[in-house]
Amino acid sequence: MMQLLTDLFITIQGWLFDTFVQPVLFALGLASYVEMGFEGVEFVLLGCIELAIAYALMRPLEAWWPAEKWAERRAVKVDIIYSVLNRMGVIPLVVFVLLAPVFMELESWLRFHDVIPRQLEDWLPGLDTKPLASFVIYLVILDFAEYWRHRLSHTFGWWWALHGIHHSQRQMSFWTDSRNHLLDDVIAGVWFACLSLLIGVPPGHFIGLLIALRLVENLSHTNTRLDFGTIGDYLIVGPRYHRWHHAIDLPADPRFQKGCNFAILLPIWDILFGTLYLEKGLPPTGIHEQSAEEIAARDNFWAQQKLGLVLFWKALTGPAKSRSA
Amino acid sequence: MSFVQRMKLPLLTGLIISALLSISAAQAETAIVLNSVDENVSFIDTRTYKETGRAPACKEPHHLIATPDDSSVIVACAVSNELVFFDPATGKEQKRIKNISDPYQLGFSPDNKWFVANSLRLDRVDLYRAADYSLVARVPAAKTPSHMAFDKASQFVFITLQDSNEVLAIDLKTQQPIWKVPVGPTPAGIHMTPDDKYLLVGIMGADYVEVIDWRARKTVKKIVTAKAAHNFLARGDGRHVFVSNRSMNGSISLVDMQTLTEVEKYDVPGGPDDMEIRADGKELWATARFARKVQVVNLEQKKLAYSIPVGRSPHGVSFISHAPRQ
Repeated sequence: MMQLLTDLFITIQGWLFDTFVQPVLFALGLASYVEMGFEGVEFVLLGCIELAIAYALMRPLEAWWPAEKWAERRAVKVDIIYSVLNRMGVIPLVVFVLLAPVFMELESWLRFHDVIPRQLEDWLPGLDTKPLASFVIYLVILDFAEYWRHRLSHTFGWWWALHGIHHSQRQMSFWTDSRNHLLDDVIAGVWFACLSLLIGVPPGHFIGLLIALRLVENLSHTNTRLDFGTIGDYLIVGPRYHRWHHAIDLPADPRFQKGCNFAILLPIWDILFGTLYLEKGLPPTGIHEQSAEEIAARDNFWAQQKLGLVLFWKALTGPAKSRSA
Repeated sequence: MSFVQRMKLPLLTGLIISALLSISAAQAETAIVLNSVDENVSFIDTRTYKETGRAPACKEPHHLIATPDDSSVIVACAVSNELVFFDPATGKEQKRIKNISDPYQLGFSPDNKWFVANSLRLDRVDLYRAADYSLVARVPAAKTPSHMAFDKASQFVFITLQDSNEVLAIDLKTQQPIWKVPVGPTPAGIHMTPDDKYLLVGIMGADYVEVIDWRARKTVKKIVTAKAAHNFLARGDGRHVFVSNRSMNGSISLVDMQTLTEVEKYDVPGGPDDMEIRADGKELWATARFARKVQVVNLEQKKLAYSIPVGRSPHGVSFISHAPRQ
């Protein structure tokens, strides 16, 4: 059965590649990127499967057990655009095209100066032959780094100008996970690339696990009353946990001035660094916009991209405004 | 019945069984296949054409090569900066050599003094002493150094530069680049003819093999094969070479290196890439990059005989009892 499904997947991947990707690459003189193109088609197909799973599992939760009941879902549409662009590989491709040459130049320069960045496996040699263990350790380290990237994006005014787009959704749903300003995505790419230079790139072949992790992130944005229970909420980030992160009004405690519950996957980081806030309630989500332009951009992709850049520039050149402002 | 008589039957039976086992062992052999995206190696029983197991390799393994004495198969790990050695007979990992920077394609010079590693991603060719894999020189080689070939005297290594559409020659004595010649779009595999006269270059961005008189530094012929001409493997008869044409509906061409013409072609779907040939010359094995399979061509019947499922993006196949490399 598995072989049949695999063969079906390969057939579809091969057909898409042969019909749409390879001819374009050859016509543009980019035959060198054929392998990458083929893997890109796989990325897109897996993205489709992942979105289908997310829809099949999370849409019923939103319909039958919602945290908030909405008269209509028009505001969700823009998040669907972000999700499709992301899972179909458009946004990752843009980030890759922008960053890959820079980091390759940097790595190349390091090599010519006899610097080969060390990797986790160099510190823990036993991991060489245990890719699953290696993957799990990388995952924990990357999740730790993501906690701090996320927290800093609430701390610096220029970064919040971009990240605020993610928080401006008042009808938060499982689609909201991908709602990020493109520049915010590029910064996240730089963050990951720098970390990879420091500790190495994690093993990349646990596709099933990666899809599962992305589904957890979808689930944490889902508009549902679901939580993981008294103990579970301390183990993995769930919908109620993350809903407090998106609350339009932050908890009054000064500890949460910039926000709370920054963890992406593992709540342990919020527990360790004093940013955990767990309440039974299910607060409304969004931000208090400061201008008519911000309100107008709430549901519009291009308006959000433009607004993000304008606010980003203002924050860089003027007085800083962060999450609490 | 004497002791000897009593022992005769079991002894004879034992001898027959062990003889049968040894015959069977001689026929059975393990092929090692490198799955680039799955970051592991597959082991295939060459008698049953079935995958028997897998072992972890490293991050982004791209090519493998047998050591000149066939005692090891070396896997080049581009992202984890290491070489992993496998026993070609048992498939067991033998050792790892760290701090081999970004190895992509590997090669030994004919005199076995040099071990060369192309760094496709970082635009560089590294020259190592083959005896102990110690680094001698890093040579800049923009852009995207891909495959390599050597002259018979081991004086030069020739490198295809995939993104600048050139062939680069490096003098191994001085470890300096000495010349470049332009070739067709996206050159990939490169092979020296047995008479040491021509370099054959697979032009992946088109459909031909470019023939270069490397001493004169000029193209003398283009042998049309099929779309995405990619890699080479000598048939072992000192005259013919296989060329993999790496497209979805791919094929493998057989080129006569004396007449410089294509003499045969076999349909091999799925993006045939690296190849290996059985010692008796009857079977050609090729990794099908896009089909997650190893394709086995029966060279007597001139058609695909077996498709063996393996991991994602198989990119290298090797077994001990292969035909000569010329």
